[in-house]
Amino acid sequence: MTSNAHAMTTVEHNPVAGLAHDARGGISNPILGMILFITSEVMFFSGLFAAYFNVRANAPHWPPLQPEGLAEHFNLHAEPWYALGLTIVLITSSVTCQLGVAAIRRNDRTGYIRAISVTLVLGILFLLGQAYDYSTIGFGLGDGVFGTTFYTLTGFHGAHVFGGVIMLSVILYRGMAGQFSARHHDAVEATSIYWHFVDVVWIALFSTLYVL
Amino acid sequence: MATTALTPAASAYRSGLYEWLTTTDHKKIGILYVVNSFIFFTLAGLLAMGVRSELAFPGLQFVHDEGVYNQLFTMHGTVMIFLFIIPILTGFGNYVVPLQIGAPDMAFPRINALSFWLLPLAGILMFSGFVTGGAAAAGWTSYSPLAQDRPLGMQGSGEDLWIVGLTLIGTASILGAVNFLVTIFKMRAPGMTLFRMPILVWTVLVTSVLNLMATPVLTSALIMLFIDRNYGGHFFDPATGGNAILWQNVFWFYSHPAVYIMVLPAMGMISEILPVFSRKPLFGYKAFVFATAGIGALGFSVWAHHMFTTGAVYLPFFSLMTFLIAVPTGVKMFNWIFTLWRGKLTLSTPLLFALGFLSMFLIGGIDGAFSAAVPIDFALQDTYWIVAHLHYVLFGGSVFGVFAGVYYWFPKMTGRMLSEGLGKLQFVLMFVGFNLTFFPMHVLGLSGMPRRIADYASTAGWNELNLAASIGGFIIAASFLPFLVNVAVSLRGGRIAGDDPWEGNTLEWATTSPPPPYNFDHLPEIRSERPLFDLRHGRTHAAAVLPDPSPAPQPSH
Amino acid sequence: MTSSTRTRPSNGAIVALLLLVLVVILLAVAVARGANLVKVAGDVVGSMFPPPAATAEAAEIRSLYDVVFVIAAAIFLLVEGLIIWSVVRYRRKPGDDVLPPQIHGNNVAEIAWTVIPTIIVAFLFYISWQTLNSVDAVSKTPDIYIRAVAGQFQWSFVYLADDGQTQEFTQFLPSGEAGGMVVPVGRKVQLSLESPDVIHAFYVPRFLFKRDVVPGQVNRFDFTLDPSEAGQTFRGQCAELCGIGHRTMTFDVHALTQADYDAWLKKQIEAAKATPSPGASAAPPAATLNLTAQNIKFSTATLDAPADKPFAIAFDNQDAGVTHDVAIQDSTGALIFNGTDVKGPGKATDNVQPLKAGTYTFICTFHPVQMTGQLTVK
Repeated sequence: MTSNAHAMTTVEHNPVAGLAHDARGGISNPILGMILFITSEVMFFSGLFAAYFNVRANAPHWPPLQPEGLAEHFNLHAEPWYALGLTIVLITSSVTCQLGVAAIRRNDRTGYIRAISVTLVLGILFLLGQAYDYSTIGFGLGDGVFGTTFYTLTGFHGAHVFGGVIMLSVILYRGMAGQFSARHHDAVEATSIYWHFVDVVWIALFSTLYVL
Repeated sequence: MATTALTPAASAYRSGLYEWLTTTDHKKIGILYVVNSFIFFTLAGLLAMGVRSELAFPGLQFVHDEGVYNQLFTMHGTVMIFLFIIPILTGFGNYVVPLQIGAPDMAFPRINALSFWLLPLAGILMFSGFVTGGAAAAGWTSYSPLAQDRPLGMQGSGEDLWIVGLTLIGTASILGAVNFLVTIFKMRAPGMTLFRMPILVWTVLVTSVLNLMATPVLTSALIMLFIDRNYGGHFFDPATGGNAILWQNVFWFYSHPAVYIMVLPAMGMISEILPVFSRKPLFGYKAFVFATAGIGALGFSVWAHHMFTTGAVYLPFFSLMTFLIAVPTGVKMFNWIFTLWRGKLTLSTPLLFALGFLSMFLIGGIDGAFSAAVPIDFALQDTYWIVAHLHYVLFGGSVFGVFAGVYYWFPKMTGRMLSEGLGKLQFVLMFVGFNLTFFPMHVLGLSGMPRRIADYASTAGWNELNLAASIGGFIIAASFLPFLVNVAVSLRGGRIAGDDPWEGNTLEWATTSPPPPYNFDHLPEIRSERPLFDLRHGRTHAAAVLPDPSPAPQPSH
Repeated sequence: MTSSTRTRPSNGAIVALLLLVLVVILLAVAVARGANLVKVAGDVVGSMFPPPAATAEAAEIRSLYDVVFVIAAAIFLLVEGLIIWSVVRYRRKPGDDVLPPQIHGNNVAEIAWTVIPTIIVAFLFYISWQTLNSVDAVSKTPDIYIRAVAGQFQWSFVYLADDGQTQEFTQFLPSGEAGGMVVPVGRKVQLSLESPDVIHAFYVPRFLFKRDVVPGQVNRFDFTLDPSEAGQTFRGQCAELCGIGHRTMTFDVHALTQADYDAWLKKQIEAAKATPSPGASAAPPAATLNLTAQNIKFSTATLDAPADKPFAIAFDNQDAGVTHDVAIQDSTGALIFNGTDVKGPGKATDNVQPLKAGTYTFICTFHPVQMTGQLTVK
C-alpha cells in the first residue's frame, strides 16, 4: 500500500473534515474545544468568586461573627494545614498527569498508564480528603453567608474534580486497552488540560479562603 | 433564477421520524431548532395575548389573581428570550454557517444534537410549573429577594423549574458556542481567510464568544439562587450577610451581553440580505467586523445600566460605556444604509423584513440613548417606556431579522420558494400591528405607567393607549396566519427554487436546494467575501476537482 | 437606461396611494366631526414628553430630556429619511441586469460617521452627568426628613424630627384625603427608603424620578416641590415587581403651603399621642370579636361591635412568615385604630376604644386591598 493511497483512505487526512490532526497543522478540534470549554468554566467560577468577594466586602467583619458560636470555626486562617495538604495532593497530581502526557507523546504506554493511575489515585484522595474536611469543619451550608459561600465554592470545585476523575478513569481504561499512541491521543491532552484547570482553580480557592 | 450548476442534482431522500430524532446533520438540527423555536414563539405569544387581553381595559377581567398575571409575563419574557430568539438564531447559524464556510458539518455533530435536544426538555420543565402549582412569577429577571419569596411572591415550585430549565438551556448555549467557534476557526474552506468570511459568520463568531463567556455567569447566578431557595443559602439575604443587589449584578453581567446574543446574528442575516437585494457589496465590510467585535467587547461593560435606580452602582462609568456602545451600532446602521444607496433594489419579502429591521431597530436604539442618560432613566426605568424599547429592538429588530432570514433561506432549506404575496401580506400586518402595539407604550411610560402591573387605575389616563396596544397585539397575532398558510402551501406546491434563486453572494447558494448531506461536491475559488458573485461575474473559477489532500505532517512529539 | 415596458404603476405604488387616500379621508372625517387637528397634533407631540415637572430636580431632568429629544428627533429624521429615500429612489427596473457601481466603502464617510456620533454621545454623556450630580445630590441639612417604608403591599411614611432619627408621626394610609405623604412646597425634603421584605421602588411620575427600595440598604434622595404646586396631589406607585399585590401599591403625595404643612404636622403629632394604644382602655371589653388571617385573607368580611363600649379583637395570624394587623378606618378613611402587628404564626388581642354607632372599615394595613371588611357598630 503506497503512502499516497494510505493518505487518501485515512480520514484524518481529509482537509474538509476537521478531525484529530488538522492537515494544515495546528491545534486539533477536540483540544481547541476543550480549551474553549475551560474558558467557559473559568467564567462560571468567576461568578461564584465575584459573589464571595462581594459579600465579603459588604460584611462588617470577615470572617463574620454571626451566627453565634461558630465564629471560631470560620477562622480558616488559623488551621490551613489540612487544606494545604490537599493542595499538595492536587499539585502533585497535575505533575503526574503531565508526566503521563509526556509519556504517551513518546509512545511509552507503560509509563503513561503508571502516571495516569497515580494521578487518578491522587484525585480520589483529594475528594476523600475534601469530604472528611466537610465532616469536621464545624459549620454547614446554611450557617450564614460564610458557610454558603464556602460550601458553594469548594463544592462546585469538588464536583469538577469528580468530573476530572471520571475523565481520568476513561483515558486510563482506553490507555490500558491500547487505544492511544504517540500520534493519536487527543483525549489525553484534553483531559490533562482540564485537570490542570481544576488544579489552578483549587490554588485560587485555597489562596482566597485560607490565606487572604 | 440562476444556478451555478456546480453540483449534480443530489437525490432528495425523504427522512423518517427516526432520522429526525437521531440526526447529527447540522442542516437537520438547524431546522429542528427553527421549528422548535416557532412552537415556543407561539406559546409565548399566547401568553402575551393573555397579558394584552387583561390590559385592554381597566379592571381585572380575566385574571383575578395577580399571581397568575405575574406568571404570564414572566413566562412570556423567559420563553421568548431563551426558547425562541436565542435558539432560532442558533438554528439559522447551525444551518447556514457550515455551508457559508464550505464545511461539511459542524466540528462536533453529536454535541450539536445534544445542544438542541436540551431545549424542548427545558421548555417542558419550565412550562410544567403551570400545572404544578404555579410557574415562575418573579419576572424573567427574577430579582431577589422576591424570587425566594413565598407566598406573596409566588406559589409552587415554578421558580425552581425555571432555574433548572434555564441551567439546561445555558449549558446548551455554551456547548453550541464551543461548537461554532471550533467550526469557524478550524473548518473554513481553503481560501476563506477570516476577512473573507460572510458577515453572518462573523456575527455568529462574536455571539459565540459572548455565549461562551457570559452564559456561565448566569449559570453561577442560577445556582446561587437555587441554593438560597432550597438549601438554606444566604447569598441574597441581607438579614444574614447576603446582598440583594448581588443577584442583579451577576444576573445582568450575563443578561446584558445576552441582548447582543439576541441581535447580532439577526444583524448578520440582514447583512447578507441587503447586499443581495441591492446588487452591491456590503458597505464597509471591515468596519462592520470591527464594529461587531467592539459591540461584543463593550457589551460586557454596561450591565449596570439596568440598575441605575438601585443606588448601588457607579453611575458615570456605566452611563459613559452605554453611550459609547451607540457608536459602533451607528456605524453599522450607516453601513447598511449605504449598501442600499445607489443600489438597484428588489423589494422582495426578505428585503422588506430587512428594511423593517433597519427602521424599527433605529427607534429602539434611540430609545436606549434616552435611558443611557441617568437622570432620564430615573424617570423611565421600570415603566412601559422600557417595554417599548426592548420590543423595538427585540421584535422590531431581531424578529423582523428572523423573518427576513426565513424568507431568504427557506428556498435553500426546502427547495421551494415561499409565496411573495402572502409574505408581503404578513409583513404589512406585522409592521402595522407591531407599531400600533408598541409605539403607544413610549407615551404610557413617559406618563407614568409602571411595568408588570396587572391592572391600572381608570383615572390615570391610560385607557385609550392600552386598548390601542391590545388591538395591535391581535393584529400581530393575525399576521402569523398568512405565514403559516404560506409555509404549509409552499412546502408542497411552492415554486421550485433551484440552487440560487436570489443571485446570492455566498457559498450556500453554490450547492443544491436542499444541499446533499455532505454539503458540497465542488467549491468555487474563494477570493473575496462574495465567492459566488465572483464566480458568476467571471472573476474566479469553479474548482474542477477536490483539492489535493496535502500529506499529513509527521508529528514531532 | 432601458425603456420601461410597464404601462401601469407598480402594485406597491397603488397600495401606497390607496393608504394615502384613506388617511386623507380619515382626517377629513375627523375635521368634519369637530376635531381640532392642530390641538390633536399638539397633543400627539406633547405626549412624547414627560408630564410637567413638579419639583426643582424634575425641572432639571425635563431640560435634559428636551435636549436629548431634539438630538434624537434629528437623528431619527435623518436616518429614517435616508432609508426611505433609498427605497424610493434606487429601485431595480425589470429587465435591468447591469450591476450598480460596486462600492465597498469610503474612508472619509466611515471616519466621519464614527467621529461625529462619538462627539455627540460624549456631549450627551457630559450634560447628563452634570444633571445627575445636581439631581442626585443628598444634602446633609435638608429641611424635612421622611422615611418611606415599602412593605408588601403598602407604603407608610414616617415623619422624623430634625435629627433625622426620632420618629414623630407615622402616616399609615398611603393615599386618599386622610392619607398620603404630605409635604410642603419650597422646602428640601429628604426621603430615606427602607423595606423589610423585597425590593420595591418609589416612583412619582410628576417628579420624573424613581429610586429602588432595597432591603438591607437605605437609599436617600432629596426633592423640593415647586411653590406653584401647592394644593396639588401627585400619584405615586411602586415600580419594582414585588409580588401578588404589586399593582395595588399606590400612594399619594399631597403638596401644601409651608404654613398649612406646619399646621398639619402639628395636628398629626398631637393626634398620634392621643390615639389610645391597644390595651390602654381600663374598662373590660364588652365583646370580643374573633378574626383570623389566612392566605392573605380575613376569615370574615363582616364584623359587629356594640356602640359606645370598649371591645376586643382577638386576632389569629396563620400565615407563616407574613405580618398582618387589624386596623379600623372611619367613613372618611381616617385610621382611628391600629392594632398590634403580628408576624405569623401568632396571636394578639387588642382592646379597641368605644366607637360611635355607624359603619366602619377594618383592614390589614399591610394588605389593605386583599384584607378588608365592614365593621358595623350599633
